[in-house]
Amino acid sequence: MSEEKKQQVSRRQFLNYTLMGVGGFMAAGLLISPVRMAIDPVLKAAGGGDLANVGLAVDDITSDPQRVDWSVDQVDGWYESQVNRSAWVYKNDSDEVIAFSPVCKHLGCVVSWEGSDQYPNEFFCPCHDGRYYKDGVNVPGTPPLAPLDEYEMEIKDGMLFLGDPKPHREA
Amino acid sequence: MKWRKDDLEKYVQAKEYIDTILVPLVPFQLTNDADLGKNAFQQEVITIFANEIEQELSGRVLLIPSYLYLKDGDKAIEVERLNQWISETKNQPFKHSILLTFDSSWKKHEKELVGDLLWIPGVQTGDIHSKEMQEMIRDQVSQLSEIVRSYW
Repeated sequence: MSEEKKQQVSRRQFLNYTLMGVGGFMAAGLLISPVRMAIDPVLKAAGGGDLANVGLAVDDITSDPQRVDWSVDQVDGWYESQVNRSAWVYKNDSDEVIAFSPVCKHLGCVVSWEGSDQYPNEFFCPCHDGRYYKDGVNVPGTPPLAPLDEYEMEIKDGMLFLGDPKPHREA
Repeated sequence: MKWRKDDLEKYVQAKEYIDTILVPLVPFQLTNDADLGKNAFQQEVITIFANEIEQELSGRVLLIPSYLYLKDGDKAIEVERLNQWISETKNQPFKHSILLTFDSSWKKHEKELVGDLLWIPGVQTGDIHSKEMQEMIRDQVSQLSEIVRSYW
């Protein structure tokens, strides 16, 4: 009778198992959110986060600003649409890659590098003759009141990735 | 500037800088089955053209709603009505009116129009999302902006 009893689960064992079971669930519950956060980058779609590959190799960037065009998906209220973006990209004297938004800070026209023969080595806005120096700073006395915006930027595997335009570093 | 609340509020503040109006001319018909697709496609493309030109020159151009007309309607009447549209815009300090169209029938009436007609040939059909089409449009848009600028 007493031997049979020993083979059965004792009170102590029973309590141990239950506590381990319940404790395990609680621990799992506590762990699941940090773990989800830790592996979150893996679950995100590939690509440089919000930065987009603009299809330009860093080696191809020269000290002369060149225009790059790319498109990003944008959800805008009712529509999910592709938005075209452009940038003027060049390497400055300290070999840093600079990407300016071409949107004029005056009223939003698209500026171009050396867009006017009269003003070499400057960004030129065709709408109201706004001008910017090569470092993006607005030429005093022309309509724009702020320097050109700069894109968020990352270089991965020798390719240029651009994100959203941010105010100029000197602004 | 586009025909949107935000942009128009900005326009009222900056009137003196915006002196050009852009009007897409869009024909409409529901008679001829064979042309329906083509007409709708051209409407899509002209909208893209107008939006892109506006984007290039947004600080000086106001894109107003498209002018719609019956494709086979009496052009003389349309010319008169369109001129009324343009004279309506003169209530604000607009100096230039650019009329954008794929419809070559306007070409014959160009002289009677108060605005400057920009007739774009080509684009009959195709895939609007294809890379070639986008490149073609981008190319044409930069040339069209050039023409618009030559009026200034």
